[in-house]
Order: sequence, then C-alpha cells, then structure tokens
Amino acid sequence: MRILAGIVVIAIVAVVAGVFIIRGPGPLDFAGGTKVALADYRAGKPTGVPAKLEKASLVERGEYLAKAADCMVCHTKPGETEYSGGLAFKLPFGTLYSTNITPDKDTGIGNYSDQDFLNAVQRGKRHDGARLYPAMPYTSYTYMSDEDVLAVKAYLFSLPAVRATAPDNTLSFPFNQRWAMIFWSAVFNPDTRFAPDTSKSPEWNRGAYLAEALAHCGECHTPRNLGFALDNRKKFAGAITAGWHAFNISSDKATGLGNWSDADLISYLSLGHAPGHGSASGPMGEAVDHSFSQFAPEDIKSIVAYLRSVPPVSSPDLLATTAPVAPASHKDGVTADARGKKVFASACASCHGWSGESPVSPMATLTGTWAVNDPAATNVAQIVISGTKRHTPDGALSMPSFGNAYTDDEIAAVANYVTARFGAKGSKLTAKDVAQLREQTAE
Amino acid sequence: MATTLTINGETKSFDAPADMPLLCVLRDILGMTGTKFGCGIAQCGACTVHVDGKAVRSCVLPISTVANRAITTIEHVGSTPAGAKVQKAWLDAEVIQCGYCQSGQIMSAAALLAATPNPDDADIDAAMAGNICRCGTYVRIREAIKLAASGRQS
Repeated sequence: MRILAGIVVIAIVAVVAGVFIIRGPGPLDFAGGTKVALADYRAGKPTGVPAKLEKASLVERGEYLAKAADCMVCHTKPGETEYSGGLAFKLPFGTLYSTNITPDKDTGIGNYSDQDFLNAVQRGKRHDGARLYPAMPYTSYTYMSDEDVLAVKAYLFSLPAVRATAPDNTLSFPFNQRWAMIFWSAVFNPDTRFAPDTSKSPEWNRGAYLAEALAHCGECHTPRNLGFALDNRKKFAGAITAGWHAFNISSDKATGLGNWSDADLISYLSLGHAPGHGSASGPMGEAVDHSFSQFAPEDIKSIVAYLRSVPPVSSPDLLATTAPVAPASHKDGVTADARGKKVFASACASCHGWSGESPVSPMATLTGTWAVNDPAATNVAQIVISGTKRHTPDGALSMPSFGNAYTDDEIAAVANYVTARFGAKGSKLTAKDVAQLREQTAE
Repeated sequence: MATTLTINGETKSFDAPADMPLLCVLRDILGMTGTKFGCGIAQCGACTVHVDGKAVRSCVLPISTVANRAITTIEHVGSTPAGAKVQKAWLDAEVIQCGYCQSGQIMSAAALLAATPNPDDADIDAAMAGNICRCGTYVRIREAIKLAASGRQS
C-alpha cells in the first residue's frame, strides 16, 4: 500500500514536472521586470485605442481593436461576407472550420452575453460550454483587457447578421475529443490579463500589449512544443504555419530582425514591404492588409520598440548571411537546374530579372529576402503556387498564382533554381514536397 | 486619379486608378492598340513593352510603379536602333503568321539586342521564353533575331 502510494506520488510529481517543463515560460517572462496590475499602472495606457480614437464611439474603438486582433481574416471564407466564418484550417490531423461571428442568433454569436464573449475570447469556452480549439488564439487574446474585448463585441454586434453555418470539423481521434481541451487549456492558457512592466517604457508596454494580446505574432512566429502550444524558450524564432515559413522575428542579428532598421520594420509592417527585405505574402500579407496597415503610426512604432527587446534566438536552418545580387546575365551564376531555369525564363524573368533586382518594382526584388535565402524554399514554392497581391498607398502589385499552370515537379525545379541563383544555398525540393505544401495551405 | 506617364518620349496625362495595369491605359485610355492583350497574367508575352529599356509585361504592371520611367511601345520601337533592325529582319525573314503575339515578340527581341548585340541560342532562349506564339513561328523568330544581329540585312 505504501509502495503504491509512493508510486502514485512519484507519478503525479513526474506529470506536474513534465507539464511544467513542456509549458515553459510565458510570452512576456523574458522581460523579467516588475509587473503591476493594469489598474495600478500610471505611466501610460497600454490597452485600448490610440489617442486619435480616444473620444470615438464604442463601436469605432471596437473596430480598431478587432482589426488589431485580425479577427476578420480567419473568420471569413474567401468570397463570403466578412466575419461569417467557414474558413478551413488544414491541420496534420484533420480540418477545422472557423465560425460565424456575426450577430446572427442561430448560426452566429447573436445570443452571446458579455460574459459569454469574454469566456470565448479569453478562456476558449463557447457559449454552450464546449471548448474551443486553440486555432482560435485565445491563449494570446487572454491578455486583452475586458474593456477591449467588449469593445470588439460591440463592433461585431454592429455588423449585419449573416446566416451561415460552418461545415463540421473533420479531426481524427484523439483530436476530435473537444472535451479534452479542458486539460489543454488548464495547462497552456494562463487565463490572465496583460500586466504592465514598470521597468519598461510606456511605449514598450503598449507594444507588448499590441503584439502579444492583439496581433498574436507568436502564434505564427514562435515554434510549438510537444503539446502544440507556443514554446517561449524559442520566442519568435520562426516556425512553419499553414504551410508558410513565418521567419525569425527575434532580435538575432543574423537570422532575425537585429539588422533591420526601424524604418525597415515600420515600412514592412505598415506597407508590407521594406527595401532589400522583400514583400509580405501569404498569411503575413493578409496580416498587413487587414491589420497592421490599419494601425496608428504610434502603435506601429510601439510594436517595433517591443520587438527590439525580444532576446535573440538564432534559426539554425538559415544561413548567417543572405546572398548578394546575382549576375545580370542568365549565363553567369548558378545554372544547376536546367528545367528550373527554363521555367524561370518563361514565367518569372520578365518581372524579377536575372539579377534578382526587379526591373518592374522594388517590391518584386528577390535579392536579400528570406524567402529565397531559405534552403527549404518553403515560401518560394508557396508564392509560386498561390501568388500574392500587395496593396500600398500607390495601388496594388500582384504576382499571379502558378499552382494550376505548373506541375509539382516544375514548381520544385523553379524553387530549387531560384534559391540557388538568388539565395545563400539552393533547395532540394521534390515534387512530393510541393504536393505536401499544397495540402497544408489554407484556402 | 490624375496621372502623367512618359510614353514613347511624349508626356501623356490621363485619369486612371493607381493600380490600373499599364496595358489598359495604353489600349483603352490612350487608344494605342499595337500592344496586345493575351493572357492577362504575364504568361504569354503579347503585352510586352519596354520600361527603361527592359522588356516587361504591361498587363500586370500597375501605373503607379512606372511614373517617371521611360515607357516604349511597339508604336515607337522602330525609332530605336535595335528596334529598327528587328523590324527589318522580321520583314526579311517573313516571321509573322497570324501576328497577334508579334508586337510582344518584337519588343522582347529588341530589348535582347539592345543589351546583348550578338546573342547565341541560349541568350535567345532566356530572353524569348516568355513570349508564346500559337502559330509556332519560333524557328523564324530565332532566325530573324540572328539576322538582325548579323548586320547582313538587305
């Protein structure tokens, strides 16, 4: 009996220790300063809306915050009404569909009380008591203040109600056991509001609130642990999300943002492009179009100040330097992949040029971008498959999608050619890799 | 939006959205229909024009990106040395069949010769691969480019 009790105690200790080790630090633990409750913080106002909207209506403030939290992109199926849900998330263990968050009473959130909405956004608990899957980033939104969450609710409730039911999820066992998310939440959702750090500037605190609670940068840019939660020991070190490489945004000089100027970061976030660093595409392109481009300039600056403080973590899968401009002539430089060169000549060269510096627009310049300097060529293959469209104050610039025009084999060949010619190390993609990338991409 | 572009050495002012493709401005607003609409996704080359002397596809080129840059179209390429040689060679070699893709072919060939006066087959492949001809005049296109480069024209 005593031995059995001993084994049980050891088992419990082992589980608790295991959970603790897997869970690791929280997203803001790196800062290490003194945290105070939001109500006790006097130096500034990290939550809420920027000064120009301070006097705006609740709905207008909620609109700003909903955009800052980028709710719309995930809660809208392409071609359907905004916020009406139904977007498919293709995961390794099945497909999840986002829900309708318009105020429709039957199929949306029309029956949600304020408390119901807080429970969903901050705790991952649905109106009917069921648990949300963490594709809904409530472990980030949990840091939002109640006031801000309810402003978002007011905005959503000001929208027209749309009747739309998302398809049923197709998750496999054991992931289809929704109730089990109770345990996941208990371990991985801190269920705590943002607590300002008095050792840091008001600007840093605003940036931390925007980046962690609203923009949820870590959900794509931080690698995940064994429990599919964020591993903040490698905070912002980069990860593959929805089939795209979300690159390292820690302050690492070689593989992160350490060598980006403030002007570069401001330009990339607000316009989706920074000279010599390429253009945002895929999920980051959407984040810029629908979220960051709508931020007040002082909020963008706060995020930059915050990003600067995130400790450097290097990405071992990237080389320390990006490649210089390739030769102007097609004959010079790397020509390892003859088939890839053929595809490049017919489909790519007229916009991107043989040197990688675009004759058309700096936004189409390949030189210096992480995409072509990634030896896995993930984003090169993805952008070839799905194309991109960037919106700037001067209009839109787009790259057509080639996913239906070229075979997996041809896309692999051109990605291998592009990374070898314009990047630090050529990729070795196969047709099978490209087929897998196609499958991972959200709609 | 009021926009001004420099096309064929002339200043052209018109009203168009900033993200309107250059091809639409050329054909629909300015009535310069020598440049053709083919696929609309930069895959066939029929819409090729020169921007600062380089061959680019005008169907995906928003006008906001070409302000203050020298645009040359098929209407004017004959007044450049390389363009004049190419047009002459095209006639001598009787390249054209239906003709729809040919203004794009000529623009790409002229940009090639301006940058590489004596192109070999690999240069021609690299420069002309993005221009598709459904009549299959590729053999005569190659021949005409070599003829234009040789200076053996009549």
